[in-house]
Amino acid sequence: MSGSRSARLLVSLALLALLSMAQFARAAEPIRIGLQAPITGPWAYEGEMARNSVQIVADEINKAGGLLGRPVEIVLGDDQGQPQQSALVAQRMISEKVVAVVGTYGSSVNDPAAAIYERNKLVNIAYGSTAESLTTHGRKYFFRTCFRDDRQGEFFANFAADTLKAKRIAIIHDNTTFGKGLAEAARRPILAQGKAEVVFYDAITPGERDFTAILGRMGRTNPDVVYFTGYYSEAGLIIRQMRTLGIKAPFVGGNAAVNDEFIKIAGIDIAKGALMTQEPLPTDLDYPESKAFVAEYVRRHGEAPSSPWPVYAADAFKVICAAIEATKSTNSDVLMNYLHNNLKDYPGITGPISFDAVGDREGAIYLAYEVFGEGDFRPRR
Amino acid sequence: MVFFLSQMVNGLTVGAVYALIALGYTMVYGVMRLINFAHGDFFMMGSYLGYTVLVTFLAAVGLPLWLVLLIATAIATLGVALLGVFVERVAYRPLRRSGRLAAVVSALGVSQFLQNAAMLIWGARFQAYPPWAAPDAAWNIGGVSVSLMQLLIIGISLMLMVGLYLFVQRTTAGTAIRATAIDHDTARLMGINVNSVITLIFIIGPALGGIAGVLLGLYYRQIHFTVGWSYGLKAFTAAILGGIGNIPGAMVGGLLLGILEMLGAGYISAAWKDVMVFGILILLLIFRPTGILGERVAEKV
Repeated sequence: MSGSRSARLLVSLALLALLSMAQFARAAEPIRIGLQAPITGPWAYEGEMARNSVQIVADEINKAGGLLGRPVEIVLGDDQGQPQQSALVAQRMISEKVVAVVGTYGSSVNDPAAAIYERNKLVNIAYGSTAESLTTHGRKYFFRTCFRDDRQGEFFANFAADTLKAKRIAIIHDNTTFGKGLAEAARRPILAQGKAEVVFYDAITPGERDFTAILGRMGRTNPDVVYFTGYYSEAGLIIRQMRTLGIKAPFVGGNAAVNDEFIKIAGIDIAKGALMTQEPLPTDLDYPESKAFVAEYVRRHGEAPSSPWPVYAADAFKVICAAIEATKSTNSDVLMNYLHNNLKDYPGITGPISFDAVGDREGAIYLAYEVFGEGDFRPRR
Repeated sequence: MVFFLSQMVNGLTVGAVYALIALGYTMVYGVMRLINFAHGDFFMMGSYLGYTVLVTFLAAVGLPLWLVLLIATAIATLGVALLGVFVERVAYRPLRRSGRLAAVVSALGVSQFLQNAAMLIWGARFQAYPPWAAPDAAWNIGGVSVSLMQLLIIGISLMLMVGLYLFVQRTTAGTAIRATAIDHDTARLMGINVNSVITLIFIIGPALGGIAGVLLGLYYRQIHFTVGWSYGLKAFTAAILGGIGNIPGAMVGGLLLGILEMLGAGYISAAWKDVMVFGILILLLIFRPTGILGERVAEKV
């Protein structure tokens, strides 16, 4: 009898211990934030850097005690840079019940995901999707830490007409939401200002390697400057094939062309002197937050991020965490309202962050970069 | 006229690469009635192997450039040929009696496997052939710019294609290939070792793809693990255009596709180029389902 009683006592004690552990586990249950990025596929390189950047922020927050006393956890979704995959990732994020999502990189990839997040009322902050169309659907839960394309297009129009003194401008895009959006955004102010004319406007197919035909046709229009609004892989091929065909007009790339791979593919002799319109690179940012972040990135990965985008992902993650911290809530509507109305000039890695009514980031900072002979991009002085 | 000629030169260059890859599709289809979707990835592997040999082993040796390129191409070709034989053994031979669908699915699996293997081995970034490897020489002939690499690509491809045609038409092994293409069982009754013929096909096809891969890397410098898919699709289209299973058909189809693309992009719009090319393909398939040269069934290889 007594034996059975002590056994019962033991069992109750064990149960109690188990329960308290479960209680403990619930208290420390992590806050899960999604990261949707192209981890594999043609933009895998960008995805890798975004993941590294967000990881740094998450580690810092966890080291400082987490959010609302709970650790943060990144839920990674690989959209492979493909719209179909993007929709699947979005569905997964919903079923994984994440608090909010960072991502993604490409605009055409972002669109289907943003639609799904909107339907399910999930805050999502894009880090590399700059196409105008993304904030024209009246979505309430969509934000972005990067700047919208039309601001870059305007910058190019002024830069080409005033600084480069161009009269005949050729524009080539790649028919993606992003490339076409930027090309349109550049063409509009050029036509409106009337200081120069657009003598050539056509698209290439991304993923191809031979653009000699379209470039040959462009060459016959004698442009003073060529603006390519697509990605670095094609940009490198285009400038090389342009020079082989004997077209000497200055080459200006959009911000998706800025990547060390551009120089590698074009070869330094040809890439030298190429210009790019873009947001400042992480290493050219002058805020204390950016300097500290870049130092940590270099410590972990041996080199600074080679494109501007990964730090926008880090900033998106930071903004979500700041909203959770400030509102003491993980409710989507609370976070959404906070981001729209209360977040003002949050000190991000890429400068002060505020969102306007449609979720676009306010302000805009662009620079013209030039490729120098040592194989690096530097702001054109 | 100058513009037209420039586009023809560019079109022939691109078309020659398509044709080399298309030969691999068409030979495998001719003998096995299998669309080898992994073939584009053999081509991609050729690009990467050539790159590795150039960058890692031959960069510092100090041999003359032509010898270096020859060795790199030879090693890449050999490597891809071995890979082809291996893939046939592992992924196609066990399925030879299981119907065509199983083999096609297996081919798609091999394609995914090779792409991801390349990504894991060489990384997701674009790789670039070293600038010293690809000769930059170019001439301006009456306004038409022609580069040494273009001439090399067109010349080497034509040589390989003629060589292959003669091999298949004039040699005993070629006769065995043609016989196997017509009927496996009858060929076996005639004393032909069908397995060795198929192995031979999986040496020649991937080897040609491998050479095309190295040429592509030298010409555009930029290589990526997804290149097999885009070029594979175009080469497959070229094979269909010329009449799949027919060796001269693959050559004609490849060159024609390259020229059509360049003329479309040069005169109409680069954005509409693919619409035009595939539109022509659809029309051709409606009015001539066997492709341009596809009607000589008895000679199909």
